[in-house]
Amino acid sequence: MSLIIYSITLSILAGLMCLLVPRKIKGVAETLSVIVSLITFVITVKLFNVEIISGLFLLDKLSRFIILGIGLFGFLIALYSLKYMSGRNNLRDYYAYLMITIGASIGAVLSNHFILLLVFWGVLGLTLYMLINIGGPDASAAAKKAFVIIGGSDVIMILGLAIIWGMGRSYLVIENGIRISMNSGMAILAFICLAIAAFAKAGAMPLHTWIPDCAEKAPVPVTAFLPASLDKLVGIYFLGRISMNMFEMNKAMGNMLLIIGAITIVAAVMMALVQHDFKKLLGYHAISQVGYMILGIGTGNPIGIAGGLFHMLNNVIYKSCLFLGCGAVEKKTKTTDLDKLGGLARFMPVTFVTFVIAALAISGVPPFNGFVSKWMIYQGIIELGKDGSKMWLVWMVAAMFGSALTLASFMKLIHAVFLGQREEKEKPKEVSFIMWLPMVVLAALCVIFGVAAFQVPLKNFILPAVPGVTGDSFTGLFSPGLVTLMLLLGIILGLIIYLLSNLKGIREDSTPYIGGEILPEESRVTGVDFYRTVQDFGIFKRIYGLAEKKMFDIYEVGKIVLFYIIDILKHMHSGLLSSYVSWVIAGVLILLVVLMKGSM
Amino acid sequence: MNIIPLFVALPLAVAFIIPMLSRKFKWFPDIAGNITTLILAGMSFSVIGKTGIYSMGAWEAPIGIVMVLDGLSVLLLIAVNVIAFASTLFSVNYMDRYTSKLRYYSLFLLMVAGMNGVVLSGDLFNLYVFLEIASVASYALVGFGCEHEEIEASFKYLVLGTVASAFILLGIGITYGSIGSLNMAQVSEQISLSGMNNALLFAVALFIMGFGLKAALVPFHAWLPDAHPSAPAPISSMLSGVLIKALGIYTLARILFNVIGVTDTILNILMVLGAVSMVIGVLLALGQWDFKRLLAYHSISQVGYIILGIGLGTPLGILGGLFHLINHSVFKSLLFLNAGAIEYSTGTRQLDELGGMKEKMPVTGGTSLVASMSIAGIPPFNGFWSKLIIIAACIQAGRPVFAALAVFASILTLASFLKVQKYAFFDKLKDKWKDIEEVPVLMRLSMVLLALLCIVMCVLLLPLLNTGLFDNIDILGPAVDALMKGTAYAVRVLG
Repeated sequence: MSLIIYSITLSILAGLMCLLVPRKIKGVAETLSVIVSLITFVITVKLFNVEIISGLFLLDKLSRFIILGIGLFGFLIALYSLKYMSGRNNLRDYYAYLMITIGASIGAVLSNHFILLLVFWGVLGLTLYMLINIGGPDASAAAKKAFVIIGGSDVIMILGLAIIWGMGRSYLVIENGIRISMNSGMAILAFICLAIAAFAKAGAMPLHTWIPDCAEKAPVPVTAFLPASLDKLVGIYFLGRISMNMFEMNKAMGNMLLIIGAITIVAAVMMALVQHDFKKLLGYHAISQVGYMILGIGTGNPIGIAGGLFHMLNNVIYKSCLFLGCGAVEKKTKTTDLDKLGGLARFMPVTFVTFVIAALAISGVPPFNGFVSKWMIYQGIIELGKDGSKMWLVWMVAAMFGSALTLASFMKLIHAVFLGQREEKEKPKEVSFIMWLPMVVLAALCVIFGVAAFQVPLKNFILPAVPGVTGDSFTGLFSPGLVTLMLLLGIILGLIIYLLSNLKGIREDSTPYIGGEILPEESRVTGVDFYRTVQDFGIFKRIYGLAEKKMFDIYEVGKIVLFYIIDILKHMHSGLLSSYVSWVIAGVLILLVVLMKGSM
Repeated sequence: MNIIPLFVALPLAVAFIIPMLSRKFKWFPDIAGNITTLILAGMSFSVIGKTGIYSMGAWEAPIGIVMVLDGLSVLLLIAVNVIAFASTLFSVNYMDRYTSKLRYYSLFLLMVAGMNGVVLSGDLFNLYVFLEIASVASYALVGFGCEHEEIEASFKYLVLGTVASAFILLGIGITYGSIGSLNMAQVSEQISLSGMNNALLFAVALFIMGFGLKAALVPFHAWLPDAHPSAPAPISSMLSGVLIKALGIYTLARILFNVIGVTDTILNILMVLGAVSMVIGVLLALGQWDFKRLLAYHSISQVGYIILGIGLGTPLGILGGLFHLINHSVFKSLLFLNAGAIEYSTGTRQLDELGGMKEKMPVTGGTSLVASMSIAGIPPFNGFWSKLIIIAACIQAGRPVFAALAVFASILTLASFLKVQKYAFFDKLKDKWKDIEEVPVLMRLSMVLLALLCIVMCVLLLPLLNTGLFDNIDILGPAVDALMKGTAYAVRVLG
């Protein structure tokens, strides 16, 4: 019990202490953060074998691996930030909010009491806002938008929890296995309210629009830590929790989740295809991947839910790795514009290799971890079809289509950043040890969680958390060991061919062959123009046009509608005293009528 | 010696001493004003948990005029006097650029005396007199700058305020005509004996309108967006922070719950008025670019929350409403002081002309962030707790529509304050503000004091949880009791 309290309070206290350190003393906040986040990680490891369900806290098989993830990522990000963030002037605030975020996330995952949950959940929104603002004046609009969506969904969550409490259930998240059946309008409303909070945090459509802006403007470790990993863990954890332990899911709600999941996958990946900015592109993928998790949970069968949760864990690993790689590139080249990047593979080999591993993982290429979890989600969807759902093919196509487009968009990205040609002549160096270590750890996890999927992550983390999955319900169809062997064979073969044919000379002089003509300097092939035809293609053209005008952005559309109403109201407040007095008199008359009627 | 009359007598006396001595000693108004409000704040803390009756000239009620101290009065006394102290502290430097400090402090203390009188009065006509003292002082203070815009706002406020006062007086007259007494306890006793009649219903309508106008409920709110921004910043913080509550919400609650006795119709009226104010206020606030005007519209919206909570009529709802009342007085006063600090340093309060103030004015930036998060209901600040209670109370009372409206208004409140934070504090620093400085130390002190209150005020909820912690500061419990017991008020006062 006391370990739980330490795991939450230590980092929050460390964060508050950072805020109190005078700005002039440098280095204190950094050291404190790295040490405390390491201690917190150790505590979460120790908590892994504990199970406590009390009136305040809830540490079971589901929450234990989530907090383990939070602990690990907290430490890795603190480490990475040492180098990446150095030289900025508001470091003290950065580390303070980072530490508070770690503590509050662990708190949100471990709370069993509604009020405790609401407080930690709300604090996360505030720290996210402050962390995006660390990006400087340019990030202020993104921070505002993120916090309007996140903070707004927090209030909706209050409403959802209040409805549950008002229905006579207690104020505990898990209560003796009592689940709310969704047979009344209020129960459905409560579920939708809570799902909205989870969607906003995880970034599912239509509440996703804060993520691309945040990815573009906020410092990279912030994006890698919050929208890409922590918010996914917390948001999807909560979605899993409410649909497994609080409510008895029914068909309609499951279908709602499936529709949102499918739309999120496809729409976000389509947007990712046409991005020109490294960070923004990754931001759209961060949204697209949420779709898979929701799809998995929406299937409602154990294998699908397990797949969704496993995909969440995997996503956190490869997505952080991708963002950290992006940060390494930005640190060395000072830009994230795909037009200006290119040919970095030679100069930053570690970044390149880890990035490629993570990119293959996110695209669902075996034997990396993303493949296994996607595979489980597919299994869940097929299971759904066996149960008589006619729509299963639609979900399946959406999921596979999304997967293919993800691969396509990462090919563009890798070409534009690491291959292709470099415009500028100066030669960047590989980032320092402190920065590449987290990336290597994450890339290694991608491989381990893929090759040894059953032995390590599924056995220890996922399957205990989701009751009802049997080991043989999916193993028969896919054997990662065999696939790995075959792939390795292929790679070795490729290497042999590569070495034999002495391609070195060609690699040095990698001018594209364009029919013998001399390539003009300005027509460098950058990779930005990959898939441009998609953008110009009939109906897509109109949809992309509307998206560019932000017509699919709930925040922007809401603004337009509200300001229309506000203009009418403003018009009524003309400043004329006589009209104000007439409102008063009319008010008295109405009051009088109502009172007289009420007394009769 | 009974402490109750001192709440009125002390500020009233100092208000007249200041002009007498200030001609000789230039520093006297600042010192006297601050010490008086500090003493008053201390006195209001000393009456926590106490009740009492003071009969003027030792004439017992119902013949004599009485002042009644109960839980609800204590809550309001604390809010009024603490905010008054913070405002006077802020005024020391801020009011330097206005010419006449002695008039300022005299009017300020008159207003405080009026508000303290209103919340202590046990007599309808006395309540009216104190209400007018506070109102007239506030009319003058709104126009204190004597610029064209300020005089115009003050005039509008004067006209509408006078309409309200006239209606209240008419209501009191009708009540006296049909009951034959002005003592609130005796009126209450008579009404519960003989029941309501049409004349009294008319009086109720007049009361709701009159006090509703002082509280700035929609549709009686139109004076507030002009009056509150025009006043000097510490006065705006008094007006929005406590005046609308002492003169409007307190009087509404006291008269409807304890004197007339609430019915379902009256509660419904309160809830609808509250919900409408909540939504319309915040919508109008979203469209504003003048920092203080934006805050003024938010006052309408937040008063809506308070009235909605109280109008639910359940213990939880009243608790939420009253807690929100005291929370709002803290964070809204702080926000007006922030706006004042920015105006003091830059000379403007147009959000789109500002930017990057966070770097140049870290204390103002930090405290305004705390206040913005409080009003937007972000944990762990105080506004979160009261909004949480109000939303839960709406659900508990079986009114999910009002809960949903409260949620909607809360999201818009957040959006509107993030706009303030973005444009005023986080955006790029403009060249013309390169040389501005943070405000003087007393102004900073006053803002930090209120920001700390925003953070620690959730301890006020602890005594209600029977945890045994902080039981000696149980402010909310007795205040909720005072309203929940309804017309048993009469028994307490008359014995």
